[in-house]
Amino acid sequence: MVKKTYLAEKHVALGAKMVDFAGWYMPVQYTSIIEEHKNVRNNIGLFDVSHMGEVFVVGDDAEEFLNKIVPQNISKLTDGKAVYCQLPNLKGGLIDDLIIYKLKTNTYLVICNASRVDEDINWMSINQRGYNVSIDNQSHNLSLLAVQGPKAIDLMHKLGYTDDQDSFTIVEGKLLNIPMYISRTGYTGEDGFELLVINEYVEHLWDKLLEEGKEFGIMPIGLGARDTLRLEAALPLYGNDLDEDTTPIEAGLSWSIPKDKVEDYNGKKYITEQIENGAPKKLIGLKMLDKSIARHEYEVYYNNEKVGTVTSGGVSPILNCNIAMAYVKNIKEICAGTIVQVMIREKLHDAEVVKRPFVQKRNKVVRR
Amino acid sequence: MSITEKILCSKSHEYLLEEDGHYVIGLTDYAVEQLGDIVFVELPEVGSEYAKGETFATIESVKAASEIYMPVSGKIIEVNDTIADAPETLNEDCYEKGWLVKIEKTGDESELADLLEYEDYKEELE
Repeated sequence: MVKKTYLAEKHVALGAKMVDFAGWYMPVQYTSIIEEHKNVRNNIGLFDVSHMGEVFVVGDDAEEFLNKIVPQNISKLTDGKAVYCQLPNLKGGLIDDLIIYKLKTNTYLVICNASRVDEDINWMSINQRGYNVSIDNQSHNLSLLAVQGPKAIDLMHKLGYTDDQDSFTIVEGKLLNIPMYISRTGYTGEDGFELLVINEYVEHLWDKLLEEGKEFGIMPIGLGARDTLRLEAALPLYGNDLDEDTTPIEAGLSWSIPKDKVEDYNGKKYITEQIENGAPKKLIGLKMLDKSIARHEYEVYYNNEKVGTVTSGGVSPILNCNIAMAYVKNIKEICAGTIVQVMIREKLHDAEVVKRPFVQKRNKVVRR
Repeated sequence: MSITEKILCSKSHEYLLEEDGHYVIGLTDYAVEQLGDIVFVELPEVGSEYAKGETFATIESVKAASEIYMPVSGKIIEVNDTIADAPETLNEDCYEKGWLVKIEKTGDESELADLLEYEDYKEELE
């Protein structure tokens, strides 16, 4: 049975087109994907992302346990800090990608993709043996809203927010007298916040954010624009760009993996081998040179030879051209500036390899 | 008489409109609404021929690519260049300005049998 967030009726009342996404009844768009997209880049957007999974990892061995299951160095997290992580299998392929927050000593919050919560929990349970740690899936009790865009901070200030925290941090606080976790994170490449509340408060919070955000041009944003926004920012989407046969090195996520982590972790052998000797495939950014659109699973050609596959592709409303991410053979001839071809409806269309992200990210905020 | 009173619709959401001895083909307002922002339209060559049910055009919305099928067999005699340059025209007006192609019908009248009048088509959707 398809699951509903506590806001499903509100989305329908706002005129949203609803779709089944990862088993959830979710809004794909309210007005127009392009309009919603631009509004997040220029003003502010409100997303219901309550389908995401929230798992609390708690116990004396929580740090050690997390160090075992992700390549990132959990020991370096201070209270309130977050880190972008992956969950590799024993061969370095990705079961999911995650954000892990350190709430306090021995207490961590793990945010998982909706489509992967069950696999993640299963994998964590398999790895749990010997660690004094509890894995507490609270996804069904919690709702998550994302407030994203350059004016998100203005709305937060209006609602009495004073922390002005750095990006990639979380604080426990109150907004509109509602207790919540406030993190300065998102999936758009813009500055913004994610607000985690218990389900019972989310309808009130949603209404108030839309009402108080009016003066800043707030709009509710569907999953359609969430996808185009993350693509412009070249943020990977699990299931499109990441899967169990793809390592974080192949996925262009080497920047997120510390080279000096001493602790062993799942897949470390394969991941470090690829760091040292290179991987068989690599992720590239593409800009289509005509009006055609490269989509998921279209083939990529170079010198008349098939060299790879598009994983995500679509429109860039900001650049006014079509963009894509693709896996190609890891050869040095394919680099920024190279012209490759994408097979679209039995015809080859030129595309230029370009640097990622496609648009400048503006999500980094550090307090002076 | 409004335009929707004159069209026949296919179950795959194309419309057919008789006009001065030839036929205009486009997408129904329902189809356009479902597709959302239309950003690219690939139209056939003038002179090419297609059988009923064959793909003759592709429309890309932000979300996905959709194939468009011939509601009847025919030969393309004109394509709408306006929408090739400004695909959003389809979202604004899919009947008067946002039609796709004009054809000379090559099949017989029996091909019209499974097409629906607009009112019946709308009813089928509910």
